[in-house]
Amino acid sequence: MRYAARRLLHSLVLLIGVSLLSFLFANLAPGDYFSAMQTDPRISAETIAGLRARAGLDQPLPVRYAGWAESMLRGDFGYSLAYNSPVAPLVWERIRATLLLTGTATFVAWLLAIPLGIWSAAHYGGWRDHALNAALSLLLAVPDLVLAIVLLAGAVETGWLPVGGITSPGWDIMDAAARLRDILSHLALPAGVLVLGMLPVLTRHVRAGMLEALRSPFALNARAQGIPRRRLLFHHLLPAAANPLVSLFGFSLGTLLSASLLVEVVTGWPGLGPLFLDAIMGRDFALVLAVVMLSTALLAAGNLAADLLLYRLDPRIRVQ
Amino acid sequence: MFRYSTFALALVVSALCAGAEDLLVLQDLSGRQGGRLVYAQRSEPKTFNPIFAADSVSREAIGMMMADLVHINRYTQRTEPALAKSWTVSPDGRRYALELRRGIRFSDGQPFSADDVVFSFRVYLDTALDSPQRDLLMPGGKPIVVKKVGDCRVEFDLPVRYAAAERLFDGFAILPRHLLEPAYKTGKLAEAWGLRTPPAAITGLGPFRLKQNIPGQRLVLERNPYYWKADKNGIRLPYLNEVDLTQAGSEDMQVLRFESGESDVIRRVGAHDFAVLEKESRRRGYTVSDLGPGMEYTSLYFNLDPAAGRPGFLRRRSFRQAVSTAIDRNALVRLVYGGHAAPLGTPVPPGNKAWVDASLRPPVPSVSAARALLSSGGFKWSGGNLLDPAGKRVEFSIITSAGNDDRVQMATLIQADLKELGIQVDVVPLEFRSLLDRVLRTHQFDTALMSMADGDADPNPDMNTWMSDGGNHLWNTAEKSPSMPWEAEIDRLMRQQMTVPDYARRKKMYDLVQQILMEHMPLVPLVSPDILVGAKRNLGNFRPALMDHYTLWNIEELYWRELRTGERP
Repeated sequence: MRYAARRLLHSLVLLIGVSLLSFLFANLAPGDYFSAMQTDPRISAETIAGLRARAGLDQPLPVRYAGWAESMLRGDFGYSLAYNSPVAPLVWERIRATLLLTGTATFVAWLLAIPLGIWSAAHYGGWRDHALNAALSLLLAVPDLVLAIVLLAGAVETGWLPVGGITSPGWDIMDAAARLRDILSHLALPAGVLVLGMLPVLTRHVRAGMLEALRSPFALNARAQGIPRRRLLFHHLLPAAANPLVSLFGFSLGTLLSASLLVEVVTGWPGLGPLFLDAIMGRDFALVLAVVMLSTALLAAGNLAADLLLYRLDPRIRVQ
Repeated sequence: MFRYSTFALALVVSALCAGAEDLLVLQDLSGRQGGRLVYAQRSEPKTFNPIFAADSVSREAIGMMMADLVHINRYTQRTEPALAKSWTVSPDGRRYALELRRGIRFSDGQPFSADDVVFSFRVYLDTALDSPQRDLLMPGGKPIVVKKVGDCRVEFDLPVRYAAAERLFDGFAILPRHLLEPAYKTGKLAEAWGLRTPPAAITGLGPFRLKQNIPGQRLVLERNPYYWKADKNGIRLPYLNEVDLTQAGSEDMQVLRFESGESDVIRRVGAHDFAVLEKESRRRGYTVSDLGPGMEYTSLYFNLDPAAGRPGFLRRRSFRQAVSTAIDRNALVRLVYGGHAAPLGTPVPPGNKAWVDASLRPPVPSVSAARALLSSGGFKWSGGNLLDPAGKRVEFSIITSAGNDDRVQMATLIQADLKELGIQVDVVPLEFRSLLDRVLRTHQFDTALMSMADGDADPNPDMNTWMSDGGNHLWNTAEKSPSMPWEAEIDRLMRQQMTVPDYARRKKMYDLVQQILMEHMPLVPLVSPDILVGAKRNLGNFRPALMDHYTLWNIEELYWRELRTGERP
C-alpha cells in the first residue's frame, strides 16, 4: 500500500512538472491563436486586440496558468479559442477513436508478438530465426510514416480499402453487420501501420526474455526430466520471462493515447492526432496542453500499473 | 450569367413580409433532384456560429447553411440579389434601402423579416462581441446604422460615401432572431451554435441545414425545404438531397480521397498533385481544370521600417528595382508551379480582371539591367560581391513559411538569381506563426516571401494593405502616417477611390496606386498561382470560379446527371 502511494505521489509531481513546463514552452512560442487574423486585411488591429483581451491573452503568465490550472481541476481542461468551448468534451469525442485504433493495434501486435517471439527463441540460431529477425529488422528500419504512405498508395491504387476516416457516408442507415465491416475496413490501414511498427520491438523483447529463460538452469533441468517442449515453453518458461514483458506492456498501455498521433494524421484517422496537430498549428494552447497532460497521465498510469503488477508477480520486488 | 426574375406570385404586395413566397427564379437553370455529394474538408469546422467563425473550414460549412442580403457571384465577380430582392441608393450615396423577399422562411420553418436583419447587424456591430467581420461594417472607421422601415424593408446609413457598398453585404449571414436573441441577451452568444449544439437548434436561410454532426468525422447537411431559389422549371433548389462534409485531416488526404473516388469534388490542389490527378482522371471518372490565376499573389516584401535596424540598402529604390529586374518570374512559374501560375507585374493578380492594371507587365529578367540600376544607385562590386554605397557587402535574408514547399522553392530560386548580381541571400524557412510574428510584430526580418489573397475583387477591403496606417501594410506595419511622399499619394488615392461611385474613375485611381507601387517597389510581385480544381464528370452545373469558394460556390445548383446506385431521387 505504501509502495503504491509513493508511486502515485511520484506521478502527481511528474504531472505538475509537465504542466508547468508545457504551459511555459507553449507560451514562449511566437504568435498566438489570433495572429493568423492579422493577414486578413478586412480585420483591424483594434478588433484583434479586443479578441485577445476577451481571451485573457493580455494577462501575465502566472495569472493565465492559475486560470488554466483551475479549469483543469474543474474538469474543463481549459478553454479552446478555436472552438469557443471547454476542451474536455472536444478531447473525449476524439479519445474514443484513438483508443479504438491503438487498443486494436496493441492487442493484435501482442497477439502476434508473443507466439512469434517464442517460436523464434525456440528455433534460436536456425534459418527460421534468422529469416524472422531479418524481416523484423527491415520493419524496424522503416519509419511508420513510410509504411503509412506505402499502404495508402496501395489503397488508392487497388481500391481494396477506404482512404481515411472511420466510417463511410450513409453509415447510419447500414445494418449492424455492414457497420462492423465498414469500421473494420477503415481500421485496417492505420491499425496495420501501427501493428507493423510495434511488432519488431515486442517480438524481440519476447524472444530475448525467452532465450534468457531457456538458458537458465531450471529450464535445463526441466528438459532433462522430459517435460514436453510445448508445455515447457508456455507453462514454465513464458512466466519466467514475463518481468520485462510486463514492464513493456505497461509502457504499451501508457502510450495508448500518444503512439498513434502521427499515424492518425497521415492516414486521416479522426482521433486525437489531427486535433492535436491542428491545435499546435493554430496555437490553440489549451487544447495542446490537454492532450499533453492526458498522454502524460496515461503514461504515468501505465508505468504505475506495470510496477504494481510486477510487485504482485515477483516476490523478489516485494522483499526489496 | 443567369437572368434573375421574381416569381409571379411575388407581385402580390403585402403589408407584411409574410405572404406570397418571393422565390428567386434562375431562368437559365435546370437539373434534377436527388443524391448526395461528398466533399472532403481539410479539417473539421470549429463552430457553426457565423459571428465568430474565423477559419475557412467553418465558413465553408456555414456558407452552405446561411444566406446574405446581397451576394457576390463568384463566377461573374458581380453582386446579385439574394435575400434583398432589390436595393436603391440615395443621391449622396450614403443611404442604401433594401427590399427584402416576402414570405420566405428559415430552415426551421419560421418566417424571415426585417427584424432578423436588424438583429443580425446589431450583433455583428456590437463592440462587446468583437466579431472578426465587424470592421467591414465600419467604412471610414464608423459603424453603419441599420433601421427597419417596414417588415420587408431596411435602410443602411453609411457614415461616409463608400463605393460599391452593396458588396459589403456579401458574407454577412442573416441570423434567426427567434433562436439567437435569448443567447445574445444573456451574453452567451459566443458559446451558441458550437459543435455540440443539436442540429435542430441551428437554422439559416441557406440551401442546406444541419442533419448530423459526428465530431472529427463528418457533417451531414440535408436540403432546406424552405430555400428561396427555384430553377426555370419551378423546381425548388437545391437539387442535392444531402451534402456529406467528411473531414480529411490534411490537404494530402483531401487529394487522396478525391483520387480514390471517396470525395466528389476537390476545392483546390497544388500543381504537383494536379499533375498526378490529371494523369489518372480518365481512368477514375473525374475531370480536373486549370482556371487560370486566381486572387492570390505571392510577393517579396522588403522591410522599410527604419527603426527595425535592417541594412540601409533595403530602403534604396534602385536596389529594390534591381532585385525585381533580376528575378526570373517565368522560371518560378515553370519550375515551382509546372506552368500553372502567372508571372506578376503588379500586386493585383490577373484573376481580378476588373481592377488589374494590365499595362503593368512583369519585367523581362535581365542581369545587365539590374546591374545598371545598382550602379546608378551607387552600388559597386569587389571580387564578384556587391557592395552598398557605404562599402559594405550586400547580404540579406528571405524569410518564408516552412510549411509551404512552393514558397521555399521560390526563395531558393530567387537566391540563385540574385547570386548573379553578387548578392548573398540566406533563405530562412519559419513556422507560419513565427513568420507572422516577425513581420507584423517584431519587424525582425530583411525580406519576407509571402502570399496574400484578395477576399473580394473590389479594392476597398484592401485598404488595410495599401494605406500607410493599415495593419497589413507589410513593408512597414509600424508606421501610423505616411513616411514617404509616395506613400502619402497612395493614401490619398485609396481614400478618394473609396468614395467615388464611378467605376472608371476608381479604376484610374487604383491603376495609379499600382503604378506608384511598381515604381517604388516596397514589394516585388512574383506570381499568382492558378486555381486548380476537380470534380466527378457526372456532376451537373459544375462551374468553378476564381473566387473562393472555387468549386461549391453554387452548391444549390449542382446535381447528379445520373444518380448512384442506392441513392434516392
